[in-house]
Amino acid sequence: MSAVILTPVLLTGCDETLSTVHPAGPAAAVIAQLWWVLLAGSVVITTLVAMLVLWAWRRPEGAVSERRFVIGLGLAFPMTVLAALLAYGLIIGEKLLPHQGPEVVSVTAEARQYAWRFGYADLPGRITDDVLHIPAARPVDVAITSADVIHAFWVPRLAGKLDAVPGHVNTLRIEAASPGEYAGLGAEYNGPGYRGHGFTVIAHDPAGWQAFLQGEAP
Amino acid sequence: MNALQRHRALSRIWASDPGWRGWCTSVNHTDLGRMFMAVSAFFFIVGGILAMLIRAQLASPRSAFMGPEHYNQIFTMHGTIMMFLFAIPMFEGLAVYLLPKMLGSRDLAFPRLTAYGFWCYVFGGAMMIFSLLAGIAPDSGWFMYPPLSSTINSPGINSDFWLIGITFVEISAIAAAVEITVTILRYRAPGMSLVRMPIFAWYALVTAVMILTGFPPLILGSILLELERAFGLPFFQVAHGGDALLWQHLFWLFGHPEVYIIFLPAAGAISTILPVMSRTRLLGHPWVIASAVSLAVLSFGLWVHHMFTTGIPHLALAFFSAASTLVAVPTAVQIFAWIGTIAKGRPQLHLPMMWMLSFFATFVIGGLTGVMVAVVPFDWQAHDTYFIVAHLHYVLIGGFVFPMLGALYYWMPHVTGRKTFFKLGNTAFWLIVPGFHGTFLLLHWVGLLGMRRRIDTFDPGQGWEVINIIASVSSFVMAIGFALVLIDVVVNAAVAIRGSRDPWGAGTLEWAMPTPAAPYNFASLPQITSREPLWDTPELPLQLARGEGYLGDPSRNRRETLTVEPTTGRPEYIVVFPGNTALPMLMSAVTGLFFLGMLIKAYWLVPVAALGVLACALVWTWGLQRPAPEGPLPVGRGLSLPIASEVAHPPGWWGSLFLLVADGTFFGSLLFGYAFLWTIAPNWPPQQWAEAGLLPVALLIGGTFLALAASRVRSLWPVTCAAMLAMALAAVMVLRAVPDPGQHAYAATVWVLAGYAVLHQGLALIMAGFFGATRIAGHAPETTGGLHNIARLWSDYAVAVSVMGIGAALLPGWG
Amino acid sequence: MGTVLRLALPLTAWLAAFSAIYGLNGWLCTTDLTDAKARTVLAVAVLLAVAMQVGLFIWLRRCDWQAAGPTLRGVALTLAVVALVGTAWTLLPGLLLSRCV
Repeated sequence: MSAVILTPVLLTGCDETLSTVHPAGPAAAVIAQLWWVLLAGSVVITTLVAMLVLWAWRRPEGAVSERRFVIGLGLAFPMTVLAALLAYGLIIGEKLLPHQGPEVVSVTAEARQYAWRFGYADLPGRITDDVLHIPAARPVDVAITSADVIHAFWVPRLAGKLDAVPGHVNTLRIEAASPGEYAGLGAEYNGPGYRGHGFTVIAHDPAGWQAFLQGEAP
Repeated sequence: MNALQRHRALSRIWASDPGWRGWCTSVNHTDLGRMFMAVSAFFFIVGGILAMLIRAQLASPRSAFMGPEHYNQIFTMHGTIMMFLFAIPMFEGLAVYLLPKMLGSRDLAFPRLTAYGFWCYVFGGAMMIFSLLAGIAPDSGWFMYPPLSSTINSPGINSDFWLIGITFVEISAIAAAVEITVTILRYRAPGMSLVRMPIFAWYALVTAVMILTGFPPLILGSILLELERAFGLPFFQVAHGGDALLWQHLFWLFGHPEVYIIFLPAAGAISTILPVMSRTRLLGHPWVIASAVSLAVLSFGLWVHHMFTTGIPHLALAFFSAASTLVAVPTAVQIFAWIGTIAKGRPQLHLPMMWMLSFFATFVIGGLTGVMVAVVPFDWQAHDTYFIVAHLHYVLIGGFVFPMLGALYYWMPHVTGRKTFFKLGNTAFWLIVPGFHGTFLLLHWVGLLGMRRRIDTFDPGQGWEVINIIASVSSFVMAIGFALVLIDVVVNAAVAIRGSRDPWGAGTLEWAMPTPAAPYNFASLPQITSREPLWDTPELPLQLARGEGYLGDPSRNRRETLTVEPTTGRPEYIVVFPGNTALPMLMSAVTGLFFLGMLIKAYWLVPVAALGVLACALVWTWGLQRPAPEGPLPVGRGLSLPIASEVAHPPGWWGSLFLLVADGTFFGSLLFGYAFLWTIAPNWPPQQWAEAGLLPVALLIGGTFLALAASRVRSLWPVTCAAMLAMALAAVMVLRAVPDPGQHAYAATVWVLAGYAVLHQGLALIMAGFFGATRIAGHAPETTGGLHNIARLWSDYAVAVSVMGIGAALLPGWG
Repeated sequence: MGTVLRLALPLTAWLAAFSAIYGLNGWLCTTDLTDAKARTVLAVAVLLAVAMQVGLFIWLRRCDWQAAGPTLRGVALTLAVVALVGTAWTLLPGLLLSRCV
C-alpha cells in the first residue's frame, strides 16, 4: 500500500514515537488504515476534479447537461461515496469503544497542569506519576478525568485521544500489541506548560505485568 | 432637467461632509463599505504579521525566539483577529458596499445603523489591538475554553479583553446582519422579484440570517463567562453545578456556522464572477440557491463535530458525523455547477478568474480533509494536531481569501473607476498560491506525525524539522505576495487612467452606474425585468442617468429610495433616509464606555454609559418621527406611493423583527444552557430550588394578559407600561428567592433568566412610553401606526420571554 | 416574506428535530430506562421527524406559488426533499450504535 512507499521517503532516520501512522496497537492500526483509505480516495477525487476543470476549460462554448453536472456529479456521486464512508467510519468507531470483556484491564488517569497521575483497579492504592503501566496485548480501559482545566489523553501510536474534563470521567480503550515504551501527550491546549505535558506508557509482557501487580517497582 | 443637472442636484442631497468630518458623519453605504473593507484589511495585515511570528518561532526546533507566555498570546490573537476582525467585517464591508448597487437601491435600510456598527467594530478592534501592544492579550486560544480561560487559571485581564472586546465587535456583526437582511428583502428596484435577484444577494441574505442565529450563542457564552469571571457566577465551574462543556456547546453552536458565514459570501462572489469570466450564465441557478440555503441550515447541525473527543456517546457522535458528511453534498453541487458553468461558457484567464481557479485547487483539498475529520475515528487521531491547522487554513484561505482576492480584482475597477494599471497582481498570485500550498500541504503530514497545534516549540527527532522549515519559508513567500497585492491596490487607486464603465461586460446592476459610484448610486431607479438587466438593456445606464426610471426627480430635496414587496418585487413605499450625522459615532463611543467600564471593573461607569446609549437612541429615533402626514407621493413613471412613516410595517418594524430573531436565538441558547446543566452537569440538583410563592406568578399572569391586550390599543399605552412594571416586579421577587447567585449554577441561571426578562420588560416599557410621547406631542395617527406596531412587537416579545424565563426558573421548585 | 419562510421551513424543522433527538438521547442516558426501551423511544422520535418532513413536503406542494413562480416552487420542494433525506441520513445510522458510551 502507499504507506509502504511514502513512509520511508519522508521519515528516514527519524524516531516516530508520536506518529499516528506508525501504529503499535489495534486501535491506532485501524485508524491508520482508515487514513490511508481516506488519502487514496481524496487523491483520486482531487485528480478527477482537476481533470474535469481542465476539460471544462478547453471545451468549446456550448450547452452542457445540467442534470449531469448537478444531479450526477453534485448529488449522486458524493452521496454514494459519503454513505460508504460514513458506514465505514461508524463501524470502526463502534469497534474501538470500550466494550466490556473478560480480558479488559482498568486503569485511571487524572490530568492536571502539568502532570499525569495514574491508578490501577487491580492494584488499589498504587499511584504512578507520569508513567502508565499496562499489560501488552490486552485491552486496557483508561478512565480519564481532570483536576483542573481540560486536557486530553493521547498515546498516538496506540489509539485516538479523549479529553479529560473536570467533573466527568471519559473512558478510552487502548492496547499495545507488544511490550515496550510508548510516548503519551496531553493533547488539549492547557496553558504555558502545554508543550511539556507528556507521559510514558510502559507495556509489560505477562511476567512483567504480574511483577508490577505484585508491587515490584519496575 | 438634463442628466448633469440631475447629477448635481442629487449629489448635493446625498454627498457626505467634505474632509475629515466626512469620515465621522458619513452614513453613506459606499463610504462605509470602503471604510469597513479598509479597516478589515488592516486587521488582516496585523493577523498576518502574527502568523509570520508564529512561523518564525516554528521554523526550527527548540526555538529561543519567544517563550510560551508570548507565543500563547500571539496564536490566540492570530485566530481571533482573522475570524472576528478580518473575515466577518470583510464580508460586511463587501455587502455594505455592493448590495444597494446590485439591488438597485440608493442605500441600505438603516444608514445610521451601518455607521454605528462600523464604529463599534473600530472601537472594539482598537481594544483588542491595545491588549496586544500592552502584552496583556488573551492567551487561552481563540476558542477560550474554560476553566483555562476563567478566573482561577487566567486571573489577569487577558481573557476579559477577549470576552468584552469581541462582544463589542459582535454588535457590528448583528447590526450589519439586520441591515443586510432587511435591505435584501425590501430595498430592491421595482420588478426585482426574488427570482430576479442577483445570486450574490441570495448568498448575502443567507449569510446575514446565519449571523443573526449563529452569533447569539457566542454572545451568550461570552456574557456567562464574563459574569463568572467578574462576579463569581459559576456557569462553568463543576464544583458549583456548572460544566466546562457548556462553553464548548455554546462556542461551537456559533463556531461551526461561522465557518459557513465566512465561506458563503465567497461562494456568492464566485457564483457572480465566474459566469462573467466565462461569458455565460450560471449553470443550475435554482440548484445553487437551494445549495446555499441547505448549507446554511445544515451547518447549524454540525457543532458537536468539534467535540468528538469530549466523551459524548457514540450514538450522538454518529448524528453529527452523518450531518458533517451530508454538508459536503450541497458544497459539491455548487462546485460542479461552477465547473459546468466554465464548460458551457468561453472562459477567459483574467486575474479574477485565476483566483477562481486557485479556489478550486485549494478548497477541494480542504473540503476532502473536512470529510476526513468528519469520520469520527480519524478525528480522534487528527483532533488538535497540525492536520486540523492545515485543514482549516485550506478551507478558510482557499474558501474565503482566494475568492475574495478574485473579488478584489473584479470589483476594484468599480471602486476606483480606473483601469487596472500594473500587472503586479499576477506576480502576487504566483507568490501567494504556491506559497500557501508550500506552507500548509505538508503540515497535514506533520500533524499525523504527532505535532500538536499550539505548542510553542518542538524537539528535534520526530521528522518535523524539514516540514516546518519548508512551511516557514513558504509562508514568507506568501506574505511577500500579500504585500504586493497591497502595493498593487495603492498603485491602482493612485494612478488616474479612467476605465470603461463595465470592463468585464457583466450583467448586474452595480455596473449600470458611473464609476466610482456617485453617493446616490442611481440617478433614477430601474424597472427590472430579468436577472441580468444590463445584458438585456445595454442602454440602461443612460436611461437611468436621464431620469427615466423611478425617483428621478430630486425636487423634494431629500434622500429617497423605494422598497418592494419581498416576493414579487412590486413597489410598496418610499423611504426617506436621514442625512449626515455624527450621532452613530457618538453612540458607539458611549457604547464603548459601557464595555470599558466592564473591562476595567469601573462598574459605576456601566449604568451611566447604558443611560447614555439610551439617550442617544431616543434622540436617534425621535428624529425619524413625522408629525404630519404627506399622503401618497409621485415616484415617476406614473406611480404614486406612500412614505414609510405612513405604512403599517415600516423598515423599523422589519429591523425589529430580525433583531428579535437574533434576540430569540440568544434566549433559546440560554434555555438550552439551562437544560444542559440540569441534565448533564455533575453536582445537580442544587441545595434549594427557587420558591417564590403565588404572588409573582399572579403578577406574571396578570401582566401578561394586560400587556397582550393593551399593546393592541393605541390609547392604552400607559396600561402596557404598568403591565411591564408588574412583570418586572415578579422577576425581582423571583430573584429574591435565590439570594446568592454565586453558590450554584442554578441560582446563577435564575439571575440571568430574570435579568433578561427585566431588560426586555424595560425595553418594551420604553417603546410604549416613546409611542405615548408621540401622541402627547400631537403626531397624526397616520404617521404613528408603524411605531405602534413596533412597540407592540417588543411588548409581545417581552411577554413571551418573561413567561418562559420566569416559568423555567420556577419550574423545578414547583414539584 | 412568506416565500422566504417556506424555503427555510423544512430544513429548520430538520434542525429542530435533530437537536431535540440529540438532547433526548442525552436525557435518556441519565434515566435508568433499559436499552431496548430507550432505543424504541428514539426510533419513534426519528420516525415522527421523518413523518413531519413528509407532511411538510406534501403541504409545500399544495401551497399557492402564484406570486413566487415555478422556479422558487422547485427550489422549495428541492429543499423539502433535502430535509427529508437529511432527517433519515443524520438520524437513522446512530440508532444502531452504542447509546451512552
